[in-house]
Amino acid sequence: MAAITTAAQPTALHHDTHAGHDNYAAQLRMNRLGLWLFFISEAFLFGGLLATRFFLWGADTRPELDQTIGLIVTSVLLISSVSMRLAETAIERGNRRAFSIFILLTALFGLIFLAGVMVFEWGLFPSIYQGHLTPWDNKYGAVVFAMTGMHALHVISGIVFILIVWNLARKGSFSPERHWGVESCAIYWHYVDVVWIFFYPALYLIGNAVHIAAH
Amino acid sequence: MRIGSLGLVRGLVGYFAGLIVGMAVVVILRLALGMSAWDQEAVWVGGLISAIIGFLLGVGAMSDWLKWTRGIETPLHHGPPAGKPAWTRYFGVDYNHKVIGIQYGVTGLFLLVVGGSFALVFRTELADTGISFLQPGTYNTFLSMHAWVALASILLGVGGIANYLVPLMIGAEDMAFPRLNAFAYWINVPAIVTLLISMLFGWDSGWTAYPPLSLLGPVGYQMVFLAIFTIGLSSILGSLNLIVTMLMMRPKGMTLFRMPILCWAILATSIIQLTATQLIGQAFLMLSFERSLGMPFFKPIYDAAGVNIGGQPILFQHLFWFYSHPAVYVFVLPGLGVISELLPVFARKPLFGYRWVALSSLAIALVGFLVWGHHMFTSGYQPYLRVVFMISTLLVAVPTGVKFFSWLGTLWGGRLIFPTPMLFTLGAISVFLIGGLSGPILATAATDLFLHDTYFVVGHFHATIFGGFVFPFFAAIYYWYPKITGRMYNETLGKLHFWLMTPGFWLMSLAQMTAGTMGMRRRIADYDPALGVQNVQLLVTIAGFVIAFSILIMIYNLFTSAEIGVLAGNNPWRSRSPEWQIPSPVPEHSYARPISIVGEPYDYGLAGSSYVAMAGAGDD
Amino acid sequence: MLKQSGYGIVIVIGLVLAALTVLEYFMAINHIGAALLMLVATLKAILVIYFFMHVSRLWTAEGGH
Ligand code: HEM
Ligand SMILES: [Cu+2]
Repeated sequence: MAAITTAAQPTALHHDTHAGHDNYAAQLRMNRLGLWLFFISEAFLFGGLLATRFFLWGADTRPELDQTIGLIVTSVLLISSVSMRLAETAIERGNRRAFSIFILLTALFGLIFLAGVMVFEWGLFPSIYQGHLTPWDNKYGAVVFAMTGMHALHVISGIVFILIVWNLARKGSFSPERHWGVESCAIYWHYVDVVWIFFYPALYLIGNAVHIAAH
Repeated sequence: MRIGSLGLVRGLVGYFAGLIVGMAVVVILRLALGMSAWDQEAVWVGGLISAIIGFLLGVGAMSDWLKWTRGIETPLHHGPPAGKPAWTRYFGVDYNHKVIGIQYGVTGLFLLVVGGSFALVFRTELADTGISFLQPGTYNTFLSMHAWVALASILLGVGGIANYLVPLMIGAEDMAFPRLNAFAYWINVPAIVTLLISMLFGWDSGWTAYPPLSLLGPVGYQMVFLAIFTIGLSSILGSLNLIVTMLMMRPKGMTLFRMPILCWAILATSIIQLTATQLIGQAFLMLSFERSLGMPFFKPIYDAAGVNIGGQPILFQHLFWFYSHPAVYVFVLPGLGVISELLPVFARKPLFGYRWVALSSLAIALVGFLVWGHHMFTSGYQPYLRVVFMISTLLVAVPTGVKFFSWLGTLWGGRLIFPTPMLFTLGAISVFLIGGLSGPILATAATDLFLHDTYFVVGHFHATIFGGFVFPFFAAIYYWYPKITGRMYNETLGKLHFWLMTPGFWLMSLAQMTAGTMGMRRRIADYDPALGVQNVQLLVTIAGFVIAFSILIMIYNLFTSAEIGVLAGNNPWRSRSPEWQIPSPVPEHSYARPISIVGEPYDYGLAGSSYVAMAGAGDD
Repeated sequence: MLKQSGYGIVIVIGLVLAALTVLEYFMAINHIGAALLMLVATLKAILVIYFFMHVSRLWTAEGGH
């Protein structure tokens, strides 16, 4: 064992230890930690939006939103999480067919959720449904659009992620032992669901609905 | 070699192509939706977002990931790009953390010079009363640009220290996610371009961009918001990478409490950057949306009954300072870590109270989350909050004091030597002391009501930032320069730099504080001769030029010494840290074999103690 | 190798989450305060994080799936 002042160094060109395949396990653990740190970071973004909601609306008011829509989109997102978990279970068991079905179902539920938000909450298509709010009239519209918008952005990226993973799985990129792509996609999706778990009461349930005449 | 094969050039082409495409898309969309073709806010925002993406595609920061989405594996390439001169790797995407660290550091220095020159411009205006050559609007643009360019330079400088040193110090081959590392560096570049473009349009609020002013001013604001948002993204991704690296890649025997102390500082910094940064990103995004879509987050709207159904400007201040106070610790914690790292080497004594110093970084970071309201004593929030934030702020003095006592304890009875890095370390302590002592004066609500928005605050934060970042950063540059280049810097020029800059800085910050107590407000282009601050202002300006000149000496020194400096050898400072046990300059694969840790890091002067064991390294 | 999870438990957790959502809805109709609602939401989040996102793999699994 050399003392700390050791200077002499053989000039090796390559780290052969790093060529080995047992690298996968180490990299996987780092990937997991990295993804969770990203979640922690994003929690501050969504937390900031929640704080904005309580700062501007207080705990005793909320906008007039359609309760039925709220319950439906919330349930759809929840079901999508279930199907996502089933997809992950399927790949863990090597059942590629079931995996494909479940993960595409998840994307479909995600799309339904998005449609619910955009068509009904946002009223993007007034011919189908007349929305209650605009982003610019008052603090209710502004915050609703900010929160659902930021969340929708994550849902959209989640759907893109799902499609990529589905395509890779089709090409046979994942095995029961090695499927970090699927795992990351799945927990990302659940994370987006967790965010909605807090947004739903914050937007729909807490406080009394306030009616503001458009001006 | 064609110039077009440089990543940076391709990135810039991508930037401007993206800008044009993005603007066109917004115009076409607006026409399709039946709106007027041109709305400068919307068109610029669309254009700039697309420009930033264009840059990243052009430079190739995402190529590997895009391949992954198609199932193509991409092995990590080592060494300079094939068939091109070695220097080109610094101008393109490279995954080696040492290259990325240099990229960060050099970009940071470049921005420091740019931001500093902006300051010289408006300082010249302030040297005398009356408006001489800068109209108030332009003055404010220069002032505001100075702040954000300088802050960007600090963030990049911190990134440089962290990226270059952390893997080396923990004996790791590279960072945990090399591609993410490169990406996190490269998104800074289009952000900086965007920030500089904002100057063409102007913006005048100071770096804090408080609404309603920032909602009303020119379109330059949009560029600032976007640029800072992007730089924030870099902070988040970079810190994520650093945390994983430090938690997962330490060598055998390196428990957390045997990490080099700088790593602790970086860990604490990274925790702040990972989390708090989201809030400034969000706040600036909200401003951007309020400007382009009219979403009333911050501007009040009163209905017929006089009830506010719109936003509240004070919400912005909460969101902004929730990041920007902890951010000041992002600026200083790495620097304080450098001080703690260097002192034992030059005092040849163990670091006094290693554990306490390590934990004090974490404590500062965590308590730092609870004190943002000390920037808002005069904002009109509930008065009781003043008391809360005053107490929590004064609490931060405790862990900060721990660091000071550790430094004193380390110096006490040491066999000190004074090469340039040591001088800058001591200079840093003296300057940080000035800044630190002015802090509690501001943190006391009763005195802050008078001092808020005066030059006293300007003096305070320049002293903290120079003491906590700039001086230690320079110390770090001189100290690790031989490791990076293999050659020694010129000691005479280094000492000259120090002896110009340090007294210059003392003078500058004390004069700023004096001007503040005499009633000089910040962020104005002109002042009343009756204030009697003219001479003080002149002093500040002169000192500013002296500091700037001394920094040019350093840059000259760094450039020339890389060619003609004497060969430094592996360990000129006789440091115990792992990075000094390998050749200088560090080879492509830093450690030929994994190292292991067999003792305490800072037991300088203790006979027979050792820290690093290099497997099979032979015969010492 | 991690213990493989079955399809059954996933469905059960899904049902519990659904039940809690309905509970939230009725709590809101009956004007039960914000704090309790957020508490239920937190409970739901914990279920998702534990069972769906298998957070424990961060510190238990030695690498493999
Ligand atoms: C000893 C601990 C410190 C205390 C008690 C303290 C306290 C304060 C207070 C109360 C203010 C608000 C002054 C006002 O606007 O009226 C302030 C401003 C500021 N402080 Fe500190 N501070 C401390 C350390 C630091 C450190 C370490 C930094 C690091 C860079 C720093 C950077 C700043 C900056 C940038 C501002 C000005 C923000 C602006 O533009 O308004 N402070 N400080
Ligand atoms: Cu502060």
